[in-house]
Amino acid sequence: MRTLWKRLTALFSIGRWDRELSEEVEVHLEMRAAELRQQGVDPDAAREAARREFGGIEQMKEAYRDRRGVPWIEMLAKDVSYGLRGLRRNPAFTLAAVLSLALGIGANTAIFSFINTLMLRMLPVEKPEQLLNLYRTGGWGKGYASYPLYLEFRKHTDLFAGVFARSGADKVRFDAGHSTRVEYVQREYVTGNYFDALGVRPAIGRLFKDEDSRTPQGHPLVILSYDFWHNRLGLDPAVLGRVLMVDEQPLTVIGVAAPGFHGVEVENHADMWVPAMMFRGEIMQPGMHWVWIMARSRPEIPKSRVQAAANTIMQQYLMSVYGSQRESAFGKWALGQKIEVRQGGVGISLLREAFGKPLTLLMAAVGLVLLIACANVANLLIARGSARRREIAMRFSLGATRWRLVRQWLIESLLLALLGSILGLAFAIWGERYMLLFLPPAAGEGFDVAPDATVLGFTLGISVLAAVLFGLAPALRATSLDPTAALKDGGEQQPGRGARAGFRKALVVLQVAFSVVLVVAAGLFAHSLAGLRSINPGFVAHNVMTFSLDYPQVWKGADKEKHRERLLARLTEVPGISSISYGVPGPYRGGSWSAGIRVPGSARTAREGVEVDEQGIGPAYFETIGMRPLRGREFNQGDMRSTRKIAVVNEAFVREFLPGTQDPVGRILSFDDSKPEGGEPTYIVGVLRDILHDGLKTRAKSTVYVPFCEGGVSFDPTLLVRAQLPAASLLPAIRRELNQLNPEVALVEPRTLRERVDDSIFVDRIIATLSGFFGALALLLAAIGIYGVTAYAVTRRTAEIGLRIALGAAPARIECMVLLDGLVLIAFGVAIGLPLSLAAGRISASLLFGIKPNDPPTLVLTITALLVIGVLAAFLPARRAAAVEPIEALRHE
Amino acid sequence: MSTRNSKPDVLQGTLDLMVLRTLESMGPQHGFGLAKRIQQISDGALDLNQGTLYPALLRLEQRGWISSRWGASDKNRRAKFYELTRAGRKQIARETDHWARIVALIERFLRVAE
Repeated sequence: MRTLWKRLTALFSIGRWDRELSEEVEVHLEMRAAELRQQGVDPDAAREAARREFGGIEQMKEAYRDRRGVPWIEMLAKDVSYGLRGLRRNPAFTLAAVLSLALGIGANTAIFSFINTLMLRMLPVEKPEQLLNLYRTGGWGKGYASYPLYLEFRKHTDLFAGVFARSGADKVRFDAGHSTRVEYVQREYVTGNYFDALGVRPAIGRLFKDEDSRTPQGHPLVILSYDFWHNRLGLDPAVLGRVLMVDEQPLTVIGVAAPGFHGVEVENHADMWVPAMMFRGEIMQPGMHWVWIMARSRPEIPKSRVQAAANTIMQQYLMSVYGSQRESAFGKWALGQKIEVRQGGVGISLLREAFGKPLTLLMAAVGLVLLIACANVANLLIARGSARRREIAMRFSLGATRWRLVRQWLIESLLLALLGSILGLAFAIWGERYMLLFLPPAAGEGFDVAPDATVLGFTLGISVLAAVLFGLAPALRATSLDPTAALKDGGEQQPGRGARAGFRKALVVLQVAFSVVLVVAAGLFAHSLAGLRSINPGFVAHNVMTFSLDYPQVWKGADKEKHRERLLARLTEVPGISSISYGVPGPYRGGSWSAGIRVPGSARTAREGVEVDEQGIGPAYFETIGMRPLRGREFNQGDMRSTRKIAVVNEAFVREFLPGTQDPVGRILSFDDSKPEGGEPTYIVGVLRDILHDGLKTRAKSTVYVPFCEGGVSFDPTLLVRAQLPAASLLPAIRRELNQLNPEVALVEPRTLRERVDDSIFVDRIIATLSGFFGALALLLAAIGIYGVTAYAVTRRTAEIGLRIALGAAPARIECMVLLDGLVLIAFGVAIGLPLSLAAGRISASLLFGIKPNDPPTLVLTITALLVIGVLAAFLPARRAAAVEPIEALRHE
Repeated sequence: MSTRNSKPDVLQGTLDLMVLRTLESMGPQHGFGLAKRIQQISDGALDLNQGTLYPALLRLEQRGWISSRWGASDKNRRAKFYELTRAGRKQIARETDHWARIVALIERFLRVAE
């Protein structure tokens, strides 16, 4: 150990050691010579004898040096400094290589960061790999389940080591007692065994136990996340026992969870947890889906058996709850629910479902980008290798081994890759910020893609891999020369070394092939997005602001209604606002209600009730979203309180239930679907054109619009304001009116209707944008590759071209010849790339909207783009070739 | 590629022990003095390249058995002096014991061969 330490410290004082050793040797020789002189030997002979007796001085010094330092570190340090000097000497080459690599590595790092956060990173809990998510499908919504279903699974302790549940993270009002403005926190309801089952420990105080969630409304307790305690309460240790107002309920803080734990959802971090029994709602109602069920698996039971058992449990449960309604539309719908046993260790994520597959495809795309970049750098290195033939030959003759030279080259490659990855990380961080802009604000709070150790490791890994990929072949090639020949021909490339040029061409063909794949993908997604954008949703999304209101918890329906009417009256007075209305859930708010109906006289509902979409809307709703009913009228203020039930239906409704009816206005439908003729009638007062009310990709469904009445559904409506004002000045105006009316009511989730429509296709937008960027990058890199190879070929063939011109070839012919060379490379690349891209297209077919993976316009455009790029890239070298002076070229020879 | 010297290399461990023992008996010594003394004692039996002494000295120093410092020689020249450390003395004891055993062992073989 001590020896190693001495050797290491010696590295840093190499110069001094060398001087001392020389002096020591000198002293030795001088002493011996003096001794000999005393014996009468003449000075010169004495000196000579002393040297002879000493033996090989240089040899000894070498042995001494080896002994002194740690030889390989020293050698490495030498190689690194030599490499850096080489890179500095060649700034253009270095810049081109580092930039290509940085783009490739940066793109990979950015996409991988998302994949890491969304799909790989394990929850900071005990043995996360044992966690399961019991994911509900079918029926209403996905993922969320009911509390009774949780209790059912909880019984099966033979199957699971623990079953627990949590609600989604809700943004609720929070008051620590010192703030005047309305603050919000993310609150989750959790079952009493939540922390135990996850194996999360308290930072201070205690966490929930089963006894903390037994009786409804009986446990006013709260546990804080460490981050919340740190950021909002300044780690105040006196927080235990304090009462906080959360969602206007007084809750006593009993503990803080361990640092780093934010709950089990990836994109929504919880600030605090409240016992599930504090949920304000019919907790035992089987139709109330509000919890995610999770379980800890028993390691001895295989996953397939868990799935089979879960299916049986689910079937028995559903039959016990809905068995009696087996024959009704509702019953069938309810019985169609299933449980999917999913891995839970990476956390729950709705975003993963929408974005997981696109991310995987993007990862493949950036992998290709990196390969293209590597090919480019390899090409640059080979070109540089030719220029350095003389240097290499010299080092060979001076006794360097081939391994030593290859190592030197690889170290240079590694340096390039590391420089590239540093710059690439900067690109990645910027790129991640840009990608996050695409995510709808509703997608998550606390979604964190900042590079962590895994990401940094990944970046380092791909850099080293890239360095080997692009560095090894050029290194082997550059060092496989015959030193004498290389020295003799003065370092110039011998004509006719076809293999070398062939390898470079192969690299370019590969680049072109990969570029074709990326450009086709870019074209497909762009075309798909353009198709989505060109869809007419049926309403006018411009100039409409949407938002929700957050009322104090104690307010009843009547209070809210009164407040809303007064607010609407005030807002109508605001200059610039032309129309205002509200609806539940409102356009592009991610959901709709369904209701079973009967339509007297319709064959469709003669035997059973049919489910249709139901929307509750306010007066002038259609006017506000820029529409006018085809027939009849829309609701007015008077309709809102009328006891006579009325409705507006869409064309799809008419087609489904009243086909061939001339004027559906005045016909009736009934929300009582228990008997064929229905119950209380609802009169149709208007017919509306079909609109895509909740997504561009789904066709309009049969929809019944009814006047929204407070208390019917427990959700607050979305307000819609049409105004000729930009959002930046409209929102403050609305906030001002709201504040003057009642400062207790807060405006939440403001978003223009246009933005909401965009949010609904964010995956299509992000994938089209990114694949477009990667496609363009690939084209650029390929163009550089083609340029490099063509230009190099022209230089190599200067003499030949000169001769041709001297023999009377027209410059235009020479130009053509060079251009053709470039085009041949492209043709080969396209021939390889097209089948690849068709295969890639099939994989991504599910992400395309309205077009097939072999979309002809995209393919034609791709080939055209590559040809144009190829001609452009080969044009400069071709011009240079045509301008060759025959005399010059021949004299050069 | 490298030029080999015709003189046989001395066994590494052997030279180490010779240096340590010489330093023990003579006290602090510079490289030349050590080389001269070792050759004197070996009485010509050891044909040593004096230069090979220096890497050996470095090795012993790295192991902590000897220490070095720059000082003035008897002719008032600057020279590097080597000195035995405590660890070095212990090492001599160990090595001596080791050598004695090897010599005894080899002798036994030689006797058997007679």
